[in-house]
Amino acid sequence: MDRKKSDRFYFWLFLAPALFGFVLVVIIPFIMGLYYSMTDWTAIAGETANWVGLENYKDMFTSIKFQYSFVRTFSFTLFSVITINGLALLFAFLVTRGIKFESFFRAGFFVPNLIGGLVLGYIWQFIFKSVVPSIGTLLNIPALEEVLILASPNLAFMGLIMAFTWQYAGYIMMIYIAALLNVPQELLEAADIDGATVWQKFKSITAPLIAQAFTITSFLTLVNAFKQYDIIVALTSGGPADIYKDEIVNSTELLAVNIYNTAFKYNDMAQGQARAIIFFLVLTVVSMAQVYFNKKREVEM
Amino acid sequence: MKKILALLLISMLVMVAFVGCGGEEVEEPTLDGDTTEEEAVEEEETEEEEAVAEDATEIVIYQNKVEIHEQLSAFAQHYTDETGVKVTVKTAGGDTPYAENLKAEFQSDRQPDIFVIEGMGGYNTWESKLTPMADQEWMDLTDLEFTVEGETYGFPVAVEAWGMAYNTAMLEEAGVDPAELTSQEAYKEAFETIDGMKEELGIDSVVAMAAGPDMTWVTGLHNFNGYLSAGLPYGDTTVLDKLNNGEADMDRLTEYADWVEILFDYADPTVLQTGNYDAQVGQFGTEKAAFIHQGNWIDPWLESNGVDFEMGFAPHASVAGEHDAIFIGAPSFYVINNESENQQAVQDFFNYMATEEAGHEYMVNEANMVPAFKNVELKPKTPLSAAVTDWLAKEDGAYTWLQNDMPDGFGMGTLGPIYGLYASDGIDKAQFIDQVKRAIESIE
Amino acid sequence: MVLRKKIILGLVGFVTFILFLLTMFPFFIVVVNSAKASLEIITDPLGFPKNWAQLFANVKFIWTNPSIRYASSVVSSVIITLGSLATITVFAAMAAWVLVRTKTKTSMALFLFFLSGLIIPFQVVMFPLVNLFSNIYKVTGIRMLRTYHGMITAYIGFGVPLAIFLFHGFIKSIPKELEEAAEIDGCSKPQIFFRVVLPILKPIVVTVVILNAIWIWNDFLLPSLVLGVGQDVQTIPLAIRAFAGSFVKKWDLIMTAVLMAAAPIVIIFVFLQKHIIKGMVSGSIK
Repeated sequence: MDRKKSDRFYFWLFLAPALFGFVLVVIIPFIMGLYYSMTDWTAIAGETANWVGLENYKDMFTSIKFQYSFVRTFSFTLFSVITINGLALLFAFLVTRGIKFESFFRAGFFVPNLIGGLVLGYIWQFIFKSVVPSIGTLLNIPALEEVLILASPNLAFMGLIMAFTWQYAGYIMMIYIAALLNVPQELLEAADIDGATVWQKFKSITAPLIAQAFTITSFLTLVNAFKQYDIIVALTSGGPADIYKDEIVNSTELLAVNIYNTAFKYNDMAQGQARAIIFFLVLTVVSMAQVYFNKKREVEM
Repeated sequence: MKKILALLLISMLVMVAFVGCGGEEVEEPTLDGDTTEEEAVEEEETEEEEAVAEDATEIVIYQNKVEIHEQLSAFAQHYTDETGVKVTVKTAGGDTPYAENLKAEFQSDRQPDIFVIEGMGGYNTWESKLTPMADQEWMDLTDLEFTVEGETYGFPVAVEAWGMAYNTAMLEEAGVDPAELTSQEAYKEAFETIDGMKEELGIDSVVAMAAGPDMTWVTGLHNFNGYLSAGLPYGDTTVLDKLNNGEADMDRLTEYADWVEILFDYADPTVLQTGNYDAQVGQFGTEKAAFIHQGNWIDPWLESNGVDFEMGFAPHASVAGEHDAIFIGAPSFYVINNESENQQAVQDFFNYMATEEAGHEYMVNEANMVPAFKNVELKPKTPLSAAVTDWLAKEDGAYTWLQNDMPDGFGMGTLGPIYGLYASDGIDKAQFIDQVKRAIESIE
Repeated sequence: MVLRKKIILGLVGFVTFILFLLTMFPFFIVVVNSAKASLEIITDPLGFPKNWAQLFANVKFIWTNPSIRYASSVVSSVIITLGSLATITVFAAMAAWVLVRTKTKTSMALFLFFLSGLIIPFQVVMFPLVNLFSNIYKVTGIRMLRTYHGMITAYIGFGVPLAIFLFHGFIKSIPKELEEAAEIDGCSKPQIFFRVVLPILKPIVVTVVILNAIWIWNDFLLPSLVLGVGQDVQTIPLAIRAFAGSFVKKWDLIMTAVLMAAAPIVIIFVFLQKHIIKGMVSGSIK
């Protein structure tokens, strides 16, 4: 009996710090957020929040700017997942072939991930604004010289994807390296002896193992792309203006930026909070769906 | 371990080698002022922490003009030496969002004695925390204090103004007389002339104008202010009131769009679409443009970059008709926190700044501001600020600053992108007018 | 055959090298432009600087400028990062250990509870968090905002879900025998944890520390709300933001600031990269 009691005691004791921090910083504010999203909260000292029910949610869905931001975020996420995973897989493949200086290259590809989003955004802003035109001058390509990447909605969007890919490819590469290294050599050699081609080897042996890694990496890249904020603020400030459904919108104002701006620029914190809740729900659904489908494919493979 | 030591040693040697060679050509980097307060116009300023008064009284000011932080601190030190009251200056500026800082500050525990608001927007947000001031010495010395319904709440920090700043010598060379630049027609003619002489004058474009995502304060706030008050008597808010009720004055808006068209047509596309503050002011400063759409706050930038040609202000021809005034106002005000325990000390500080030599010296010569007080005899030395005093002294030389009284986020957030799209030819003038009209109509 | 392999390998190496150069290109830009004065950057962004000593002028300027307070922000960043790393790692390991070793419904439920933290995006709690922290002060007099401990507490809250997830998976694969032996020897639970379990956790601790270190060191949004931009306690990203925002794109100084922000972590990485990569590669599969 003493042992059980002592076990129980230590169970809660060891759990306490982490639990306390988590509940205090994440859970309680989350619940508060749910409440605030249904008020007209503006977080000004002394003003109480009044209940407005689902009005904020209704306003949100009729806001064309919000719809646009949604669409842009989805499309950004989709492209980023593809480019990051593609590049990461390529990198991982290259640095597991047994070339010289492998660990040096691995480290090199990873280093961009050490740079914070904000700083990265400023670097790429400089590159797009000053370096690209200079390259154009150097190589005598007028188109390059004169292009204003950050003034065109589509180019700015692509620029954003490029900067984000640069940041993450190395990190995802690590996961693929782990997966590739896990491919049992004996199996590959046996397949060689059996006369399998490179493609057959890949399809039957390597790919299924990569599939498992892919579930993890697509989850990580999806969730991260969806939440992007720092890079956007530094690179484009929300981006060149564009027109959507006859309304002026900001072409690179993804959801996280939109939420922040709603709350602080326009001083509508309750609306911002409501949007954040929806953001959370959508992200949960999408990422769960993604994991589910990927797990299914893993099993099939 | 050995490897690490070797690496460190090598890097140290390399560093020494670099420091050794080429020492003379090193330029001292400088930080010049900026229009951060413009960028902060949308957001509220942050408050700072109120220090606990232990022995001496301590006033804490949280202000937003990064470019005068040092000067204000020096003045504060002088004040402390004179009166024994400690004054601490805290500053935050730039496109760092004040809003959440300010609100978070209030949510936290410590509040400042003095903070800054800009216009009705700031007032509406903070009215419950402001002390009205009455019968203070400085109030007789200015017309620019911030009042609401007869009660004074704000001490004007400085007078600022903008217009079409021009390069005097360049205009002379082109044969354009700035005194004649009073209407849209006159400007069109002048711009065409200058544009035809681009090569001889060595400029990239007639006007240095910016409308990109970082510069929405130039377009959505300042330039748009022309629609609100150009041509109207000082203090006339009819157009503004209509706007706040969701009503657009279509005739005026159409005339105004013509002005925007003129400016955009004669601007350099790169600077216009993606140029930031440095690029825009740089274009004017390096004499690659004859005009610039900016205000006297660019003086510090010009000074620290060694720009010294003669310049002046010409009016904006924002709407049809004749114009002989530039936009002058006191955009930001020091206000007193009504929960501060140092009410009298703060009032004393304000009076000191307005009435004493030291205060004038600080405002004009150190901080290079145009003072809002009539008793100041010192004249600013920097070119555009000096020009502002000239216009201020003119009869009816001022149009009102009204853009801060628009709803939060409207100017930069809602209007700004519309200009941006127009600047990149995403929409044409008719659509521009339509979008602005709809934006106004969405105000409730 | 061997020759063919060598050629292919050489080709692979070459391609990798090119990609590597392209990846390093932005760093090249930063380093090269940090050593230029303002006008030179505008006129010649690609070339090598005329005078490398300019770099030191720029660095010195940023380091000593009172409006930027770079030096103090480095100190703050170090304190906050190390403090958070230590607490997150230890707390999460402790929690994960008891969760794994106690096979009850409660522990499973708690584990899933922590996992839910992985999905909750920061945006949805950021505003109420600030609100909550200020209310804590109003009710208890304990200051949370603008303090080191408030910041670290926030990082603990956001960091433990992933850390617990990683520790949980790893601990599951550790045989209980060692712990049971220690228990028989008369060790108390805390002793078992700190003396026996924690040392075994080293590989996954490395992964947890690295992941959290990168995130916390570079984090901008959370500190901007809890610490506030331009306030007393600043982390490096906040100082850079206050600076890059306020001095409105003086690229020479921004590039230098960027260099100074990234340099510490890159240098540490370069020195420790063998361990780091090993830890990441082994830890991520689990």
